[in-house]
Amino acid sequence: MRLLPEPAGRALFFLLVSFGITMGLWAQDSVRVDSMIFSNRSGLENILQGSVAGLRVKSWSGTPGAQSTLNLRGLSLDPTDQSTMPLILINGVPIIAGPSNVTGINPLNYYSPEQVERIEVIKDIDRLAAYGVQAPNGALNIIMKEGESGSIHVRGSAFAGVNFLQNMDYHKDAFYNFNTRARREVYGSGSMIHEQNLLVDGAGTYGSYLFGLTNHQDKGIIQNTGLGRQSLFLNAKYNITDKFSAHFYNNLALANRNGRYAGEYSRDITLPVVADETFFMDKNRNIGIISSMGLTYQFSPAFKVSSVAGLSYEGASRDAYIPSNVLEGSIYASSVAYKRQLITLNTSLNYLHDFSDALKLDMAIGNEIRSTDDRLTSVNGARSMEDGGSNYVKVVTGYNANQVNALSDHEREKLLSFYGIWKWKYKKDLGVNMVLRADGSSLYKNKWALYPALGIHYDLENKLKLPVKVNASIGKTGVLSRPEVYRGALDAYGDYYGGNYLGVGQLYPAFGAAKSVGVTQVDLGLSVAILPSLHLSVDYFNKTYRDFTYQRFLPNISGINYEYETGGVLGLSGFEWALDAKWIQTDRFSWTSNLNIAFYRNKVKELPGDIENTSLAYMGALSKGSAVTSLIAYEGKQPKVIGNSEPNAFGGFSNTFRYRNISASMVWTYAWGSNIIAESFTSRYYADRVGNEFPLKSAETPYYLASTNADGRTVYQGIRTVEDGSFVRLSRAAVSWHLSSASKKLAQLSDLEVFVRGDNLLILSRYSGINAEENITGSRRYDLSYTGTPLPSSVALGVKLVF
Amino acid sequence: MKCWKFIPIASVILLFSCSKSLTVEQENRTVEEGYYSSAQRIQQAVIGGYADLRRALLANYAWMMYGEARAGDLSVTVPYQEMVLNQELTADNRFVTQLTDWGYFYDVIKDANDVLDIVAAADEETLNAYQRNLFKGEALALKSITYFYLARIWGAVPSAEKNNFGSRLSSEEVITQAVIWAAEAKALLPWILLNDDGIESAALTAVRFNKTAVTLLLAQEQLWLGQGQNAYNLLSNTFTAATADSLSGFGLSVGKDRRTDIPEAPLNGSVVRMPLDRLNAIYPTGDARRGSMFNISASQNIATLIVRDAGILDLLPRREIDLLFAEAAWRSGQLEEAKEHLISAAAGATEDYNTLTEETFGAALLLERQRLLVGTGQRFFDLIRFDEVSSYIPAFTEADVEKGAAYWPLSANSIKGNSLSQNDFWSHP
Repeated sequence: MRLLPEPAGRALFFLLVSFGITMGLWAQDSVRVDSMIFSNRSGLENILQGSVAGLRVKSWSGTPGAQSTLNLRGLSLDPTDQSTMPLILINGVPIIAGPSNVTGINPLNYYSPEQVERIEVIKDIDRLAAYGVQAPNGALNIIMKEGESGSIHVRGSAFAGVNFLQNMDYHKDAFYNFNTRARREVYGSGSMIHEQNLLVDGAGTYGSYLFGLTNHQDKGIIQNTGLGRQSLFLNAKYNITDKFSAHFYNNLALANRNGRYAGEYSRDITLPVVADETFFMDKNRNIGIISSMGLTYQFSPAFKVSSVAGLSYEGASRDAYIPSNVLEGSIYASSVAYKRQLITLNTSLNYLHDFSDALKLDMAIGNEIRSTDDRLTSVNGARSMEDGGSNYVKVVTGYNANQVNALSDHEREKLLSFYGIWKWKYKKDLGVNMVLRADGSSLYKNKWALYPALGIHYDLENKLKLPVKVNASIGKTGVLSRPEVYRGALDAYGDYYGGNYLGVGQLYPAFGAAKSVGVTQVDLGLSVAILPSLHLSVDYFNKTYRDFTYQRFLPNISGINYEYETGGVLGLSGFEWALDAKWIQTDRFSWTSNLNIAFYRNKVKELPGDIENTSLAYMGALSKGSAVTSLIAYEGKQPKVIGNSEPNAFGGFSNTFRYRNISASMVWTYAWGSNIIAESFTSRYYADRVGNEFPLKSAETPYYLASTNADGRTVYQGIRTVEDGSFVRLSRAAVSWHLSSASKKLAQLSDLEVFVRGDNLLILSRYSGINAEENITGSRRYDLSYTGTPLPSSVALGVKLVF
Repeated sequence: MKCWKFIPIASVILLFSCSKSLTVEQENRTVEEGYYSSAQRIQQAVIGGYADLRRALLANYAWMMYGEARAGDLSVTVPYQEMVLNQELTADNRFVTQLTDWGYFYDVIKDANDVLDIVAAADEETLNAYQRNLFKGEALALKSITYFYLARIWGAVPSAEKNNFGSRLSSEEVITQAVIWAAEAKALLPWILLNDDGIESAALTAVRFNKTAVTLLLAQEQLWLGQGQNAYNLLSNTFTAATADSLSGFGLSVGKDRRTDIPEAPLNGSVVRMPLDRLNAIYPTGDARRGSMFNISASQNIATLIVRDAGILDLLPRREIDLLFAEAAWRSGQLEEAKEHLISAAAGATEDYNTLTEETFGAALLLERQRLLVGTGQRFFDLIRFDEVSSYIPAFTEADVEKGAAYWPLSANSIKGNSLSQNDFWSHP
């Protein structure tokens, strides 16, 4: 150290020579899972609903296994894609968390909440920048339970209950007046839901272990559909020497979901001929594997090196067929397999240094390799039944070469990153966090992007005797573009020359200037302990997204339709308020509350010039300052904004009451100020058939949307209603009874709890449909794409035992 | 020890060396970069040009609408035929609007220019001399024929070439350029193409550009420019006794297409017909072509074309050689030779063409072109070339034709995207 010049050399030393810790960043909010009300529905995200300021978990579909939409300060130009989803990590290792398009089964469904210790919610930029281009929209780090000290503990829990949908009202059903009798039958009877978990754990000087298995079955509110999940897992830490330790985590899950109901997918089909629509086989099967291995070597109390290798794999397959009684003598079958894998390797060196008693530094420098590899194979075919056979003979053995379509696709992507994190601490008062990350992506010609961040945290308690903490930070992250943007494409035309040659036509050049969307974020925070039992925190953030990639349409003499271009600036800002109160705390009775509310506003800051000739033309009606999530429609010949799909505010309100060994808790969630537009099922016209004038329909709005179909014809789609999407929902409620007397009688039993729990018990809303959150885009389309199935309520009775 | 100075340098080197490991080879994907690594793949790009030409000419029966359907010789049983026949070419009908859009033609030009770039970039191991000449020649010929179509349909059109992209060129300028490309292609293209096994294939030659076809194209272009002598020299130097066995026409390979708007059998009698009175007017009783070219249904009052090869739609048929010879000879002042060629072409006609004079030859030639080339889409172009539009199209006066009535109007897309304006006639039809 003495060899280096002061002070610049020392700083440079830290910047470039030192290597540091794993990315064990401190989370902004950390939610202890055992203290939360679990959900009867599977999917880890559901237990977070309403619990964290700014984290929106939208229950958009009642189909078991569907992932609730997750948004944590995220904004995208395309409200239907997954680019607003936060980065999900398990024990700090990134996983495949978005559902595949093939089966739609939620990967967050591979874990039981019983396995989880806590979930860290990371949203401030001086923590996020360390994840670079992986985490433009926040991150959720799921920390799994480890073994507790003792040779062996056995924990068992189970619950069983029912799903039900009160009064299937066809006026409220999104399928409005579509085969209503069948839908009533299909939804009428309710269904079972049950889960069993068994965990065995222990810990000692050797380390710790925890293993277990789970089973979850949700028969689904739609008859004969349902979700099943089984998982086996292991979380083990082994101290090889007192300096060298290893950490293994494995989770193997099988999930299956059956669909069979055409109305589940689309309203844009011929009315089914079979009364209750039991004509469709749709088997979805997933296998999800998470495996990670971490090695840590502690050279000295100040110096350690660690390396974590992670593997996340999902194999999803879907087999479907439609028998001949539906297709008038023909049968159709398809089989699709989609395999996704994500491999990460994160190596870092961590160094702690005390400059003096007052000034301390905790620093880390490391690198991360991330490689994704996704493969899709699909085959589908149809066969007529002329050869005989029964209605339900599967076609798989009868493919006719002329009737089969086959597709295979392979997508790979690599990300290489270097990062440094410097956490300075001055006395108890001041903390300064500095982050620098360089991400290199295989998607771009200009590989490297740099993401710096700086954060300052100050605690006024020590100096000013005020129970107030303030923080401010600024920094950058990025959003990866889609791969097709960078590499260009050849548009192929088939079947020329009697099928002998494939003619390859238009050549779309690679977009050499492709780059990530840049996200600049500023955070300000204030946390006040109004009373020792009453905490208020207020966070403000402002994110600016720039350099979106979009298509610029070219003059019709160009031979290709478009080229890519980057531009546009969007903004997202908001206040997040959270109030935590322990109103009463006595031995006999306690009452705690959490109220959180987030006010978000997104807006257009700058749009590309001549926007009418770009793929963003639909935003042409927006001006500077308009909401990006505006709902735009035509009235007469003029496009105008008729609503906003995002609410003015959303949040949750939780209360927990305990009297002796009985406790009751409930979580309300709410949102207000959003709009929902419902497209008409009857007012839909080809423009050329109605003289290019949209014919107004009585009892509907004067608004309509215009689009172009595959044949190049303009289609006018009338809008039936524009509605208020505000709602208040009793998201979860539970009453539990700890039977301490029983556990005392059984020496081996250390705890026994009986509980009753309910999901989605009450919804108050003026929305005319069943669930105000059921439309992903805020727009209920005529074919109901992007609209979920009705969300059922459920009640379950359960027990937890600890030996 | 100032070794710390090297650390930033080493870091920079480290970062840049990583770029290589960040390159992902694409598999199983038709991506642009590195795709054209074999002769077969480059051939795919060439075929792509033909596939696009097929779309430009066949979608909405365009070749017929630009030709015999607009002139009234043939009728196509589609709802917009009536509008085209009545010269209502700015009608608010999406099919007519598509016919006024030249986008599909410019797709072919882009394909051809891409092929030229790909061939230029390919090394000797990828393409042998035959393949290089063939692909380059085909690309030049495709470009030439496409610009020629554009100039004949719309008159003045924009260039899509790198050196003057977007500049508006007069039809003479466009065709002059097309002549250069066709001449270059003629030097490169073989008489007969080889199949993948290296064996001469007549079937392949018939649906791809070959020396005969490009010579016909070049002669047409020269005649359009009024270069009769050049056309005569070209034809007489190319088509000699020695080459008589190597001739082949050129047509579009037709059949199944991924695009559903392209007819699989474009001349099928259920769609394309000639009214019987029209047949009687063009081919008087006694004309042998009535039976050899048509199926006549007196009961239905229609005649339909006999399609000899359902796999090919003729664009530059061999039977046009004599017609072009006749025209070139006539235009270069050699009436007797012109008559010989016309008589040879018009075998089966009832007229005695030996008596033709300098003045009457043009009308006879125009008539025989109408008779012999029916179905190839050239009729309206011939009326323009022979300056006879107002004589045959009752809707137009000579003044209309002078204002640009013979050409097609520009689609809204073409006007807006290319900063153009409608010609005098179509701006106030």
